[in-house]
Amino acid sequence: MTEASPERAQMGSLIRSPLDFAGGLFLIGIAAVGYIGGFSLPFGQLSGIGSGLMPRVVAVLVAAFGIVLILQSFVSAGERLDRWAVRGPILVLSAVLVFAFTIRSLGMVVAGPLCFVVAALADRSTRPVEVLVSATVATLVCGLLFKELLNLPIPFDPKSIFGFMYGPYDALKAAMKAFVMSGAR
Amino acid sequence: MDLFDNLALGMSVALTFKNLALCFLGCLIGTLIGVLPGVGPIATITMLLPITFGIEPIGALIMLAGIYYGAQYGGSTTAILVNIPGEATSVVTTLDGHQMAKQGRAGVALGIAAIGSFIAGCVATLVIAALAAPMTRMALLFGPADYFSLMVLGLMFAVVLARGSVVKAIAVILVGILLSTVGTDLESGEERLTFGWSEIADGIDVAVIAMGLFGFAEILRNLESSQTRDVVKARIGNLLPNRQDFRQSAKPIARGTFLGGLLGLLPGNGAVLGPFASYTLEKKLAQDPSRFGKGAIEGVAGPEAANNAGAQTAFIPLLTLGIPPNAVMALMVGAMTIHGIIPGPQIMAKQPNLFWGMIASMWIGNLMLLVINLPLIGLWVRFLKVPYRLMFPSIVMLCCIGIYSVNNSPFDVVMTAGFGLFGYAIVKFGFEPAPLLLGFVLGKLMEEKLRQALVISRGSFKTFLDRPLSASLLAVSLVLVVIAILPSIRKRREVAFQGAD
Repeated sequence: MTEASPERAQMGSLIRSPLDFAGGLFLIGIAAVGYIGGFSLPFGQLSGIGSGLMPRVVAVLVAAFGIVLILQSFVSAGERLDRWAVRGPILVLSAVLVFAFTIRSLGMVVAGPLCFVVAALADRSTRPVEVLVSATVATLVCGLLFKELLNLPIPFDPKSIFGFMYGPYDALKAAMKAFVMSGAR
Repeated sequence: MDLFDNLALGMSVALTFKNLALCFLGCLIGTLIGVLPGVGPIATITMLLPITFGIEPIGALIMLAGIYYGAQYGGSTTAILVNIPGEATSVVTTLDGHQMAKQGRAGVALGIAAIGSFIAGCVATLVIAALAAPMTRMALLFGPADYFSLMVLGLMFAVVLARGSVVKAIAVILVGILLSTVGTDLESGEERLTFGWSEIADGIDVAVIAMGLFGFAEILRNLESSQTRDVVKARIGNLLPNRQDFRQSAKPIARGTFLGGLLGLLPGNGAVLGPFASYTLEKKLAQDPSRFGKGAIEGVAGPEAANNAGAQTAFIPLLTLGIPPNAVMALMVGAMTIHGIIPGPQIMAKQPNLFWGMIASMWIGNLMLLVINLPLIGLWVRFLKVPYRLMFPSIVMLCCIGIYSVNNSPFDVVMTAGFGLFGYAIVKFGFEPAPLLLGFVLGKLMEEKLRQALVISRGSFKTFLDRPLSASLLAVSLVLVVIAILPSIRKRREVAFQGAD
């Protein structure tokens, strides 16, 4: 730590606006991804622009602005970089991912509360009982609103996993239908 | 009168029982979600977009417009009661609105906000109806080159109006345009920037970006600031303003309506200026400016009227030229496209029912907001007392359900999480997310028009300067850039000089 501090002070005096410096690097990163993604696309001529012109030209412009920002950060003083939170983003975004990976197979009944609980962990002051109760209530309200009232095709119950329970029922139904049909004929 | 014939046609569409019910439901749910702290109109519309899917286009658009107004008004409610603005346009309302609430006049503040918004809405509806036909006729004069230049102008406005550095504002718009090129190229059918992912071969859904940048990223930022929310503890008090209140706010409402309506017409999110302009004006005109910031009713009435007028006149560029002037309207383009409606001058000619029905429903929506909100304020207050630690997981879950339902795609949900992180990052690096969304939506249109213009001119960029309309639009854009850059050059000079001293 003590060794790093003089070096940091020196860096600090060189980069007078750490926020702009980081922002510039960020832009250059985005531009690089865009440029690589559009690399193999044809440029075309001006009278018939190819599909590659727009991505590459815009990527170059983004990079140019990134460089301007970095140069600026050496010249004019600006803000320091804000501290990045870790717990909030990780837990909230995990909650979203958990929802994405469970909704198809387990339905809203499982994915909803799971998402709620994982997200709720992002706040340290959360109390377990409170969270479980409100997760249940929120899921029921959403089910009522989106499924019953609005008839959205969102999976609600975990049919795909407990499908075997529906199996005999469906088979019985099909058999009865066939029996009735044959009788009618 | 043509105008009144058209409005009558619109009324006949909007006043059917079904459309009235949809308008009512839209306003109600829009307010319900919009009241949630930190959830602005953009996140609200994205979240609620799927609920309009099963409805035929006219009804769906009427409902969406209702959701939009509801979200706007919900934002003002939160601004007054909790001091948290849902979005930029209600920042001003927190200044005096929350002070009034602390003095036990929350009811009056909410009442005058609703009444001011209603009056502004009525005027704005008439303005839209009156300007629609001439603007549409004008739009027919626009060639691809003119469209391109107009969008450049719109983006330049967005740069001028963005907070902070001009370089960063332009850069973030360019990032939006870069994102818009993802997906299959319309002319050649080649996949662009998809990196082999078939899921984004159709491009990135505007709802995914909007939800990531405005829904999730906002939650992440709220979580770390751990602000103490002071929901007003004083009593809400009488809802109806008394005679003196009315006398004090009549003129501010009129002036706010005019300012907001005019600024809302500007491309590039002019609507955001309305409330600020109105507040400044009222403070200048007031006999005792020191009252402002301490609960002056003019400071709520004027900006709220301006806010609503601007929110509504912003529809004009969208409906007549097909160009969204701000991020919310950009989202509306996405919503309309889902219902098979391409916004632009052809709507009015080809689907007069839809066009005038929607305009008429704007007025009805404003009336409904007044009717819904005044009796329901008690409910909103109780709603706002739910602690944020329980509120935000519900918002996360609602967002997930909403974004999944847009395309029934789990991949969209994953991508939204990615854009949530992206949105958090760009804010941390000092960029604004709203111009990005505008750039994203305009990017596609701009590329299309650029290609068309260059095909027509056989590859000569001179076409943008030869056409008088295009040339003048570009000239105005240039002036705007110069204006935007000048003060920062001056500031930088000052900083440099101070450093030299």
